Amino acid sequence: MSETTTPELDERGRSKVADVDRSLYDFKKPEEGYERYGDGLTPDIVRAISAKKDEPAWMLEMRLKALEVYHERAMSPNWGPDISGLDLDHISTYVSPQTKQAQSWDEVPEDIKDTFERLGIPAAERESLAGVGAQYDSEIVYHNMREEVAKQGVVYTTIEDALHDPKWEPVVHEYFGTLIPMRDHKFAALHYAVWSGGSFVYVPAGIRLDYPLQSYFRLNASGAGQFEHTLIVVEPGADLHFIEGCSAPKYFEANLHAGAVELFVKDGARLRYSTIENWSKNMYNLNTKRATVGAGSKMEWVSGSFGSHVSYLYPTTILQGARSTCEFTGITFAGATQDLDTGCKVILNGADTTASIDTKSISKDGGINTFRSSVVIGRHAERARASVSCQSLMLDDISRSDTIPAMDVRCGSASVGHEATIGRISDDTVLYLMSRGCSEAEARSMVVNGFASPVSKELPLEYAVEMNNLIKLEMEGAIG
Amino acid sequence: MAAQTLTGVNVPPAQTWNYLRINDISLELPTVVSKGTVPSRLPRLFSQMECGLGKEAVSWIEASAGDARYVEVPRGTTFEEPILVDVASDGGEVHDLGVLLREGASATVVVAARGTGTGAAASSAALVRVIVERGAHLKVVEILSVGDGNQHLEGLGIQADDDSSVEIRQYALGGARRAVGLAVDLAGKGASLRLDSRYLVGGHDLLDINHVVRQRGRNTRCDIVTQGLLEDAAHKTLRETIDLVHGAKGAKGNEVETVLVAGDEVVNKTLPVILCDEDDVAGNHGASIGSVSPEQLAYLAGRGLSEDEATKLFARAILDDAAIHAPEGVSLACALERAEQVLGAEIAHDAADTLGLEPTNSEDEEASA
Repeated sequence: MSETTTPELDERGRSKVADVDRSLYDFKKPEEGYERYGDGLTPDIVRAISAKKDEPAWMLEMRLKALEVYHERAMSPNWGPDISGLDLDHISTYVSPQTKQAQSWDEVPEDIKDTFERLGIPAAERESLAGVGAQYDSEIVYHNMREEVAKQGVVYTTIEDALHDPKWEPVVHEYFGTLIPMRDHKFAALHYAVWSGGSFVYVPAGIRLDYPLQSYFRLNASGAGQFEHTLIVVEPGADLHFIEGCSAPKYFEANLHAGAVELFVKDGARLRYSTIENWSKNMYNLNTKRATVGAGSKMEWVSGSFGSHVSYLYPTTILQGARSTCEFTGITFAGATQDLDTGCKVILNGADTTASIDTKSISKDGGINTFRSSVVIGRHAERARASVSCQSLMLDDISRSDTIPAMDVRCGSASVGHEATIGRISDDTVLYLMSRGCSEAEARSMVVNGFASPVSKELPLEYAVEMNNLIKLEMEGAIG
Repeated sequence: MAAQTLTGVNVPPAQTWNYLRINDISLELPTVVSKGTVPSRLPRLFSQMECGLGKEAVSWIEASAGDARYVEVPRGTTFEEPILVDVASDGGEVHDLGVLLREGASATVVVAARGTGTGAAASSAALVRVIVERGAHLKVVEILSVGDGNQHLEGLGIQADDDSSVEIRQYALGGARRAVGLAVDLAGKGASLRLDSRYLVGGHDLLDINHVVRQRGRNTRCDIVTQGLLEDAAHKTLRETIDLVHGAKGAKGNEVETVLVAGDEVVNKTLPVILCDEDDVAGNHGASIGSVSPEQLAYLAGRGLSEDEATKLFARAILDDAAIHAPEGVSLACALERAEQVLGAEIAHDAADTLGLEPTNSEDEEASA
């Protein structure tokens, strides 16, 4: 058992959970020499981004149309956490560190390389990844993939590079913006107007990657937005694990993340998409993720949300093919100043489809957690089955936790099970553990770790370690 | 008759994606015509009470009802005779009732909304608001069977003070369009609510329910059990919200829904919400939505029951339950009439005989009174 320190106590004499020590993530680099477009959103800025990337005409046309949609669309007045602190007139939509994309860390500018070294990305690449993409502000600064993986025909590159490749430009054109239409919501339109960076992954039929690919997104600039687009196509019978990580230093100005992730999982394929989101607490994280899943295939989401000031994050899975399945495993940790509206959506259209949703949330220090989900079972989803489990842990009486799960079932032979619980760590449990020799602090820590472990065990070891470190920083730092 | 569209009916405290069309319902209702009269209103203490339907719907009911009825149950007394709200849906009746249960009092409120729906489509409504003072006990039985062509609005608002208890049995048995709102404010410490809600929806009928329970008092307790059967092309929306308000230490809220789907064109929407602003509480929700499995059907077939007969058994269970818990003649007649419509005269009479229930003709009852 670890050595214990004297924990800080709250007003009721219970061990208080400390604030996260963000020094691992909260370091800033100067922006000197960076290219930064003016704040706000205008057709000129959109044209400038497109010109900078030397895009095909269809992409510029799409961007300009999206800008129109963005200005047309209003936010629903009854929607989620308040985002009135976000003012696009004070957000720069494009900041570039003015460096070429490198395939070797030695070619990456020293300050940027240092950033990713401190985040452990090169080390992870050496040890356990098939490929890495690293985005710094608006542009990818490093992209590389193991040779043996490339030889199998796997493509892992930036969207921009794919658009310049005659072989892949038609593929991007075929899929880009089709799963998340620009009219989906206001921030989807914003994304398509100013997107920059992200990844394009193509896994040929029957290819199974033994190691994951990872993209890491770092937003260093203050008062800026990051709008990366991830497009993954997993062909029939293929298998991929893709990991997404993100972080940013804390500023007093609002930052915005409005990325988009479009995942196409073809028949008999499997895709696991893992995310550890640790944006700083001045970030508005309004991200959109969606997957369409073919017959007999499997989509797995593993999601850890720890950062952001406000989050709207609901990965969506469309189980289109018969016998396709979806598993969503997620944890959200909301601390002081955080209002995190997270969850997922599943649409079951195919016969014999199954969806399993298992989420946990922890609220402390006035943090607000909202779990929001929807399970929609279509008319033709014969014998479809869905289960939703949502557990929320309240660590003090100034925090808040809401669960808002919606179900819409339109098929007579479908079945849905749902359960949700909200509560605190029971005194009986703490007492029991203390009777076995644990201190109160250790007992509470054990309960919280046990609560979170179903999520961390779904991640590869290195990322489970990162996630456990985050939980440890949030939960164990002050209590032993 | 001129009509107006009432929007924002049955809006829950926390909403979700608008495209799911689960956040509210709109209803076409007759335009309220001012008759230049001075109707009696309920005392002002009722005016701020939630009843789940929403302010616009409450205003419509208040304006349409004409005179409101106010009943006060004195301190420590028990009303043996139920307070009855008898709504004749075919005539488009609208009722507005306010009840004040003084400390330690006890009473039963019955709402029986009944009709045949064979004439021109009508819109009826009942709004019941009850203040349950310290230590008082309230029982409410609602039996809604308004006829196949009719529309009905049902609003129930309850405020429960310290150590009071509220028991509600709600049966939504028939009607073309039914909007049922319920809001219970467990304001006092130790206040409790037990809500049993049952529904039957078939044909192309629509049932829209909004249950809201706010647990504000310490050690309050809420248990909601909802069960229903959906057939044919029925359209049902159930919103169920337990709001564990800051300060409600020791509060416990449980809700569970079980739905049997027995139709190929059924639309079944559920929004079970738990809002929690306090750590020393427990909130639980469970839902189970499904059909009779092939294995269960095979078992029942082995006992000589077809799928249709098996489904009727489930319907009969709900109708029997309504009849058993009907506390007086009008509501019993309402339940048995509906049983006859759903199950056929022979089975309905058999059920009544088995249960030892004697259908009472409401006209007879009125005559004897």
